[in-house]
Amino acid sequence: MAVLTAPHQKPPVPTPSRGGRGRGPRRTPPLVLAFVLVPLLAEALWVFWPAAQGFYLALTQWDGVSTPQFVGLDNFREMAGDEVFRSAAGHTVLWLVLFGGLSALLGLAAALLLQQERRGVGFYRAALFLPVVFSLVATALVWQAIYQPDGVLNQLLESVGLGSLRHAWLADQDTALYAVIVPALWRQIGYVMVLYLAGLKGIDPALYEAAKVDGAGAWQRFRHVTLPQLRSVNAVVLSVIVIDSLRSFDVVWSLTRGGPYHSSELLSTYMYSTAFQSLRLGYGSALAVVIFVLAFGVICSYLVRAFREAD
Amino acid sequence: MTNHQPNRRRFLTGLGAAGTAALLSGCVTATSSGKSSSKGAVTLQSNLSAPQAKAAMEDIVAAYAKKGSGRATLNTVAAETFRTQLPTYLTSANPPDVCTWYPGSVADAYAKKDLLLDLDDVWTSPDLKGYSKALHSLCTASSGKKVFVPATYYWWGMFYRKSNFAKWGVSEPKSWDDFLDLCDKLKSKGVDPIGLGAGGNTAWVASAWFDYLDIRINGADYHRQLLAGKHRFDDPEVRKVFDRWQELLPYFDPNGTAVAFQDATTSLLNGRSGMMLIGTFFADAAPKDALDDIDFFRFPVIDPKIPLAEEAPVDGYFASARTGRRDQVSDLLRYLATAEAQEIYIKGSSGTVLPCHPDAKDAGTALVKKGRKHIEEAVEITQFFNRDSSDAMQPAADTALTKFLAKPKSIGGILTDWQRDAEKIWNA
Repeated sequence: MAVLTAPHQKPPVPTPSRGGRGRGPRRTPPLVLAFVLVPLLAEALWVFWPAAQGFYLALTQWDGVSTPQFVGLDNFREMAGDEVFRSAAGHTVLWLVLFGGLSALLGLAAALLLQQERRGVGFYRAALFLPVVFSLVATALVWQAIYQPDGVLNQLLESVGLGSLRHAWLADQDTALYAVIVPALWRQIGYVMVLYLAGLKGIDPALYEAAKVDGAGAWQRFRHVTLPQLRSVNAVVLSVIVIDSLRSFDVVWSLTRGGPYHSSELLSTYMYSTAFQSLRLGYGSALAVVIFVLAFGVICSYLVRAFREAD
Repeated sequence: MTNHQPNRRRFLTGLGAAGTAALLSGCVTATSSGKSSSKGAVTLQSNLSAPQAKAAMEDIVAAYAKKGSGRATLNTVAAETFRTQLPTYLTSANPPDVCTWYPGSVADAYAKKDLLLDLDDVWTSPDLKGYSKALHSLCTASSGKKVFVPATYYWWGMFYRKSNFAKWGVSEPKSWDDFLDLCDKLKSKGVDPIGLGAGGNTAWVASAWFDYLDIRINGADYHRQLLAGKHRFDDPEVRKVFDRWQELLPYFDPNGTAVAFQDATTSLLNGRSGMMLIGTFFADAAPKDALDDIDFFRFPVIDPKIPLAEEAPVDGYFASARTGRRDQVSDLLRYLATAEAQEIYIKGSSGTVLPCHPDAKDAGTALVKKGRKHIEEAVEITQFFNRDSSDAMQPAADTALTKFLAKPKSIGGILTDWQRDAEKIWNA
C-alpha cells in the first residue's frame, strides 16, 4: 500500500511515518482500489479457493476418481493411531532442529566471517551462495552419486583408512535421514548467510565503537551489540527456516522417497506418497492441513511475540 | 518514475485479461459436457518416454496416417507423470482419447468406475479374434465387456551373462536345489550370486521376488486372490514365501537395496554379480556387444505340483469413456491391434518385447525366441505386483519388502503392518 500510494503524493514528505497517514480524511482512489481488489481476486481464485478445497478434502475419503465421500474427522482420528505419521512427525522435528538450527548457526558464522570487506571475500560469498542457485533435484542427483556404495564418500573413507565406516548411506535406516539433511544444509547455509550479511550491513558502526570505548571484548560486542541488532533479521530467518523445513520435500523425495521403510519420512513426503502414490487423497489432505497448522502456528506465535516486543 | 505507471497499468490489464481467459477456460472444463469436438485427430497419450520407444510410437502414428482412414496425434508424457496424472486424464471432461496402460485388474478398476470406453466392437476385428484366450480374458472387465487392446508383452527371468557362467564353470540350474548349489558356487568364487537393484527409486524391483516365490509356492490363483484382497498378507501361506526367501538372503548382493536396478544390471554385465531376476526392459540400456551374451533361465520350480506360472506383463491401450470421437478411436485401436503396427513398434524399439498378435513377427533374436517359448510353456500368466493389484498398493509392498531385506527376523511384524496398510488402500 505505502509503496503504491507514494507516487500520488507529489511533494516528498521527509517523515513518511507521520505524513502519509495523518493527512485529512481518507479517500481511496478507484485506481488504488483496483490495485488491491484485482490481486485479491486472483489470490482468492488461485490460492484461497484451492486451500479451502484442501480443507474440505481433509474431511473426505477420496481416491481421485470417484466423488469424495464425507467422513468427518475420521482422517484425523486415523492419524492419531498412525505410527508412520508419528515417526514422520518426529523426523520433521529432528529435521527442524538439525537443519534449521545448524543452517542458522552456520549461516550466521559464515556471515560474520565474510562480512569484512577484504580482498577475495566476494569469491567466498559467491561460492557459499552458489548451491542456492542450483535446483535441489539436480543437487540431489549429485549427492546420490556421492552416497553410492562405491561412490565418492566411501572411496574417500577408504583412502584415509576408515574403510570400516563404508556404508550404503541412503539405504541404511540409521543414516538415511542424516544423509539427506546434509545436501539440504549445504544449500540452506548460503541462503541464511546472505540474509545475515544484509542484517550485519545495517548495524551502525558507531555502536561497535562505543562498545569498544567502553572496553567490550570481541565476544561481548557480539553478544550485546550484534545479536540484539539482528533481532529483526532473526524473525525473517526463523520464518524462512520453519517454512523451508516443513516443506522440505524435493531433496528427500529424490534421494530416498522417505525410505528405506519410512526411516527418512517427513510429513511432506508422507503427505505426497499417501496422496499421489497410494491415492488416498483425503488422508493426504488431512496431513497437508496438519503441516499448514504447524507452520502457521509456529510463525504466527513468533511474529506476534516479536511485534509485541517491538511496540 | 512517471514512465512506470502506464507500464504497470498495461501490465495489470494484461494480467486481468490473462486471468479472465483462465477463468473462462476454467468454466469450460467445469461444465462436464463430455462432448469434445467429434472431428479431428485422435489424441494418443503415451507413457513410453524412453527415446527408442518414443520414436517407435511416432513411427506407428505416421504409418497410421499414411493408411488414410484417420489421423492420430501422439502426446508422450514422462512415465512417472503419466502414472500420477492418469486418473485426472480419465476423469477430465476433455480427455485424451486413447491412453497407453495395463490390462487386468488395473484396467478393471477404471472400468468399474465407468471411465473406460466399451471396446466390444473393436474386438470383432479379425486381428483381435485370433488373439490368445488368455489375452481375451485379460482384456475383459468384470462387467464382461472388453475394455483393453493389448499390443506387446515381455517376460521376467533369471538373467545372466553366458561368458561369465562359462568362466565360472557353472550352468543353468534345473531345480531349487540346483539353484542353491549354483549360489554356493558363485559365492565361493567371490561373486555376489544374486543382484537385486531395489535401491534408488526402483524399490519395486523387489516385488518380482515376492511374485515369483508366491506363484511357485502358493500358485498363480492364490497370488491373484491375495493381491485382490481375498487373502491376508499375514496368512501362513505368505509367511512360507518369506521363509523360502530367507534361505536365499545370504546370496543377495549386500548393496541390493542401495543401488537402482540400472546400476545392478551394470554389475551383472561386469561380472560383479552372477544373475538377476529382471524383466527384458533392462536390455534397453545394455551395450550392443553385451546383448548377444545375455541369456536367462526359468525361475526354479519349488513345488512341481503347482501349475507352472510366469510373469509376462502385457502393455497396450484403453480409451476414455468420455471421448467425443468414438468411431475414430475404434479405427485407431483396430489398427494398433494389427500385426503391422506391432511389428513397426518392435522394429523401432529395442526389440526385446513380444507382439500380442499371433502372426506378428518378433525381433527374431535367439533371446526373444527363447522368451516366446518360455511364456508358451507356462500354464498361468501373471502380470506384476502393481498390475495384478493396483499402483496404490505398490508403496506398501516396497516398504514391507525393503524392511524384510534389512531385518528378515522381524517378518511377523512386517506382514502385520503390510496387511494394515493394504486394508487402508482397499477401503479407500
